[in-house]
Amino acid sequence: MSIVSLLKISKHTSLVSRLALALSLLIAALMIAVIIAVSLGPVSIPFSATVSVILSHLGIPTGVDVGVTDRRIIDYIRLPRIIVAGMVGLALALSGATMQALFRNPMADPGIIGVSAGGAAGAVLSIALGFSGNFYLAQPLLGFAGSMGAAFLVYFLSIIGGRFSMSTLLLVGIAVSSFLGAIISTVLIIVPDTNSLREIVFWLAGGLDSRTWEHVQISAPFILTGSTLLMLMSRELNLLMIGDDEARSMGISLNIVRPILLVLASLITGVAVSVSGTIAFVGLIVPHIIRLVVGPDHRILMPVSALGGAVFMILADTLARIIIEPAEFSVGIITSLIGAPFFLFLLIANKRNTGSF
Amino acid sequence: MFNVLKLSLAAILIFASLGSSACGDSRTVPTAVASSNPFAAVKGIVDPDNHGWPRTVEVLNGKVTIPSKPQRILTVSLGHDEVTYALVPAQRVVAVGEFTKKDEYSNVAKMSKDLPVVTRDPERITSFNPDIVIVSAYSKPELVASLNNVGILVVQTELNNHFDGRVNDILLMGYIYGEEQRALAFAVEVTNRSKELSEFVKGKTGVKPRVISLVSFSDKIYTAGKDSTEGEIIEMAGAVNLASEAGLEHNPIISLESVIAMSPDVILVTEPEPSASEFIQKLRTNKVLAEVPAVKNNRIYVAVPRYFTTLSFWNLRGAEETAKIIWPELKDKQYQEFSFPR
Repeated sequence: MSIVSLLKISKHTSLVSRLALALSLLIAALMIAVIIAVSLGPVSIPFSATVSVILSHLGIPTGVDVGVTDRRIIDYIRLPRIIVAGMVGLALALSGATMQALFRNPMADPGIIGVSAGGAAGAVLSIALGFSGNFYLAQPLLGFAGSMGAAFLVYFLSIIGGRFSMSTLLLVGIAVSSFLGAIISTVLIIVPDTNSLREIVFWLAGGLDSRTWEHVQISAPFILTGSTLLMLMSRELNLLMIGDDEARSMGISLNIVRPILLVLASLITGVAVSVSGTIAFVGLIVPHIIRLVVGPDHRILMPVSALGGAVFMILADTLARIIIEPAEFSVGIITSLIGAPFFLFLLIANKRNTGSF
Repeated sequence: MFNVLKLSLAAILIFASLGSSACGDSRTVPTAVASSNPFAAVKGIVDPDNHGWPRTVEVLNGKVTIPSKPQRILTVSLGHDEVTYALVPAQRVVAVGEFTKKDEYSNVAKMSKDLPVVTRDPERITSFNPDIVIVSAYSKPELVASLNNVGILVVQTELNNHFDGRVNDILLMGYIYGEEQRALAFAVEVTNRSKELSEFVKGKTGVKPRVISLVSFSDKIYTAGKDSTEGEIIEMAGAVNLASEAGLEHNPIISLESVIAMSPDVILVTEPEPSASEFIQKLRTNKVLAEVPAVKNNRIYVAVPRYFTTLSFWNLRGAEETAKIIWPELKDKQYQEFSFPR
């Protein structure tokens, strides 16, 4: 019996059982993904050594003799990168799941409604203005500010006559993304310092190469805090999915809950973008795949999406590391190669169901 | 192709030793050239026997006829500027690109410091009233079309990435500018310098030093593989280019782990200061790299980036300086700068 069948059957069981089963499977998948990712790389390290180092970090001694260089490669090159990849995937998937519920739109994701472009614009400005060189938190903070600014702009412009409009949201999202893209292009043209220009160009290319424990330290507090708070608001997301009136009747104050969700989703997206560059489609496809398996209940969907996003990004980044080894491939290209066809599939499926895009 | 160029270079050496003049305003062919025309193998020259005006070259934007010897020259690429300054008196250059004026990237920054900066905007280029504009393969076709529309002569040529191609560049541009004699003399100078280095390298037996070239931008590390300028320089200097050996091409991104896997004896950092020193410091203090021979033996060097990032004969200076780094017997050798026309 497949894992998917197992989970589908489990839809008839209690919430706690389904959550426990899904989380158990995803935690196992995460561990396998981490072991695969840690095992692979340009330097050949024995599998036993890899497992031994990982277990030693979990406080389990194995007695396997691991060379100093091999240990350093795992500890200082592979592990921080894998952790950053996992956190970025987690943040983007959670943000996507939140946006899809918030806007009641299966095609909403941090990229489509301008949040990613806002984060990128903030990060680019922090480099162009020289902030990132002077203050190590400048890039994530400005990334967050950019994401949040874009999210609120799109959100408020999508409210027509006091009511939230889906079609307007997507159109406004496209406009805001284009506008922010134009700001980035303008910065590229007018930035006087060649080194800043190079820094921006290479940052915009995105990717997780050369991520260090510093990147983990910068991003972890924001992403883990924001993600935990978002998961705690799963009930509110469920009610928002039903409808504004129903949510209000259940005691939800939309004027408070929606901005809080937007702030949290923007926070984790902005910080993720600031340490990885723009990585497309993770926020779109991961929650969808998870929803197909575990159903639409956000109390399960959110934590499972978080783990699913982490697994997806770790595997995508591992592919990026090894596909043209010893050179690096762009993880953003890999996620787009998977995500773009999936997005088209969603559009076509949506058209079949509703008669329109 | 390589053999043709070798034959061509042999002809150049013979021709130059005869001290013949290849210039003229008629279609007469110098005697020495008639028997062994060094321009015959130069890619791009339509009629190598024509040393008068007009003359035609076949380049990336098709066949271009140059009506008379260009006096007001403008190029929009650093490599072309460097070749131009080696061939014509400096006063014939009317403007240069921004990078040509930057010391860290350009080998003719001092010579061009008082010239105005030209961009790739056709209006700005037109304002200098040039007789000829040389553009690279990277220039947009629209730029060439715009300049042609306002009656400006445009020659679009590719700057070669290999030594034999660079000599072709010198001879072709010398022909375009009506400076064949200088081009021949300079091609001989460059060829002799290259020959000196290659003979030294041929004399080295035993294991070749294993070298990797690195630059770092925004946390990304780039190396230079096959068909890259830096890779060619490393090989000219007699070393093994590890990135090329690993099957990498051009300038891909690699991880620190790949650097460990390649285990270089020498690391060349080919970016400008101060970022070069900062990057080297990061490499030296990174625990993970402690066992890499280049780090362990403190053999990480800042290479002069202007010899590495350009696409011109100046790359040979990069090979000479690299040879000084990797071969102890060349450590104190003083290589001269290239000559310029009077």
